[in-house]
Amino acid sequence: MSQMNGDGTVHARGLRKSFGDRVVLDSIDLDVASGEIVCIIGPSGSGKSTLLRCVDGLEEIDRGVLRVNGEDLGFRETSTSYQALKRKEVAAQRTRIGMVFQSFNLFPNMTAQENVMSGPVLVKGAPKAESRRRADALLTSVGLEGHGDHYPWQLSGGQQQRVAIARSLAMDPKVMLFDEPTSALDPERVGEVLAVMKDLAQRGMTMLIATHEMGFAREVADTVIFMDGGLVVEKGKPADVLGNPQEPRTCKFLETVL
Amino acid sequence: MTSISDSVRTDPDKENLAGPDATAKPRVHPRGALEYVAWLACALVGLGVARTLVTNENYQWDVVAQYLTAETVLRGLVMTIVLTILCMTFGALLGLFIAVLRVSPLRPVRILAGAYVTFFRGTPVLVQLIFWFNIAALYPNIAIGVPFTDVSQDIDVNRLISATTAAVVGLSLNQAAYQAEIFRGGFASVDKGQIEAADSLGMSRGTKLRRIIVPQSMPTIVPATGNQFIGMFKETSLVSVLGVGELLMSVQLIYARTYQTIPLLIVACVWYLAMTLLLSYPQSMIEKKFSRTRARVSNGPAVVPTQSELMGEAK
Repeated sequence: MSQMNGDGTVHARGLRKSFGDRVVLDSIDLDVASGEIVCIIGPSGSGKSTLLRCVDGLEEIDRGVLRVNGEDLGFRETSTSYQALKRKEVAAQRTRIGMVFQSFNLFPNMTAQENVMSGPVLVKGAPKAESRRRADALLTSVGLEGHGDHYPWQLSGGQQQRVAIARSLAMDPKVMLFDEPTSALDPERVGEVLAVMKDLAQRGMTMLIATHEMGFAREVADTVIFMDGGLVVEKGKPADVLGNPQEPRTCKFLETVL
Repeated sequence: MTSISDSVRTDPDKENLAGPDATAKPRVHPRGALEYVAWLACALVGLGVARTLVTNENYQWDVVAQYLTAETVLRGLVMTIVLTILCMTFGALLGLFIAVLRVSPLRPVRILAGAYVTFFRGTPVLVQLIFWFNIAALYPNIAIGVPFTDVSQDIDVNRLISATTAAVVGLSLNQAAYQAEIFRGGFASVDKGQIEAADSLGMSRGTKLRRIIVPQSMPTIVPATGNQFIGMFKETSLVSVLGVGELLMSVQLIYARTYQTIPLLIVACVWYLAMTLLLSYPQSMIEKKFSRTRARVSNGPAVVPTQSELMGEAK
C-alpha cells in the first residue's frame, strides 16, 4: 500500500498489547477512513489510552497488524516477520501523526509560539521566520491570538490544551489522536477545547478520540467504539451505540456516565 | 436545662478572666524551660572555646596574622582556585558526556559508561591521584599516531605527567564520575510526558536531549553542581601529597621551615573557610531560586533556561 492512498487512515487487525502478564489490548480490529471521526469510550483501564498510544508508536504492539497512513507503523513487513525500522524512519512516520495528551505536555521552557514552532523548526528544519508566522496563524485558529509570548504556566488548562493542539497541527499530520484531551480541565474550560476539535473535524481531519464527553461523541463522531477490558465490545454510529446499545456491558457503562 | 453553649459561657474558670475582647487577644507561645537550659549550656561551651582560643598561646595568632597574606600563601590560594575551576570545568564536561553515554540506546556503551562511574566512585580519590602521578610506571611511553601506519609520535609519559597535570587529570576524572550521576539524576527528573510529546513530534535523540531534557533538568543539576564546586574547592587540598603548590602545600612549605605548624594550618583553614562562605552565598541563592519553582512545576514559572535564552536571541 503506498503512502499517498493511505493518508489519514488507520488499519488494525488482531492487535495485541500486554504489559508483562497483563493483556491490555486483545484482538483489536480497527478501520478508520480518511476524514472519519472516531470516538473511543469506556471505563478507565479499558485500554482506550493504550490503543491511542500504540497508534502513535509510543507503545510497541506485541502482535497483529497496525497500519497508520497506509504504512506499517514502526516496522517493515517481510515474508516471515516484522523488522523494526530505524529510529529516523519511525520519527518520520510520527511526524504524520499528531497526538494530544491528557496532561498537555507543553514544553515549559518554551513560549506558546515556540512550542508550536518546535516541530517544524527542530524536526523538519523549517525556516524560523516562516514557522513563526505559521505558528501565529495556528494559534489564532485555536482562538489564542496574542498569546504567543506566554509560557505554559501563564495559560489556563484549556489554553494550554489548545496550544498543544496547534503544536500537533503545525506538523501537518494526516491523523490526529486525542487521549482524553479534556479530562484534566476545569469543567468550564472543556467547551473551548471541544470547540477547537469540532472545528478541526469539520475541516476533514481524521480523528481518533478517547473521551468521556458523551455529548461531544454523539454530536461529532462518525463512529463510536466502546471498549472494556482491552476488547472492543461494541462499535457503530453514535446514535446506535449511545442511544440503543446492544451489549449489556455497554448499557451498564452508559447508565453510570449519562 | 442549659444548652451546651450556655454551659461554655458560664464556665466557672473563664468567668473571672478580665481584659479586652477575646477575639482581639494575641496568641502567645511561652518558651519552655528546656530552651533556657539549652541557651545556658551552649553559651558555656562557646565561652570555653573562646577562652582557650584567646588564652592558649600556642595558637600564636600573631603568626597567623603575619602569614595570612604572605606571598607564598596567596600564590597557593590562587593555585587552589585555578585547580578548582579547571577540574570542575573538565569534570562537568566529561560528566555530561558520560551521562549521555549512560542513556545511550546501545547497551555496550551504557555498560562502559557505567563501569567508568563505578570505578571512579568506588576508589578513593587520594589513591587515584597517586595512581595518575605514577602512571609512567605503567605506560612509560605512549605513541600518538594513526594505527597500522608509520605516522606516530612517541611521548615520554614521565615528562607529560607533571604533578600538576596528574592533579588536574585525577580530580577531573573523579569529578566527572560524580557529575555524570548528577546529570543522570537530572535527566531522570524530567517528566515522562515531555519525552513522549517530543517523540510524538518525531524529534531525534539529539534534539530531544538538547532542547527538552537538558534545559528541563537544570533545576536539579545546577544546585547539585554548586555543591560539588564547594566540595571540589576543599578536595584540591589532597593534591598537596603530589607536591602541587596549592594552599595546603604552601603552608606546609612554610611550617617545614619555621615549625609553626598550628598557626599555619589555621592560616589555611581561614582561607578555605572564607572561600567556602563566599561560594555558599551564590549557592544558596541558586538553591532558593530552583527549589521555589520545582514545587509547582505545572502552575509556576518553570526555572529552566527558556528557548530564547538557549538560542541566544533577543525576543
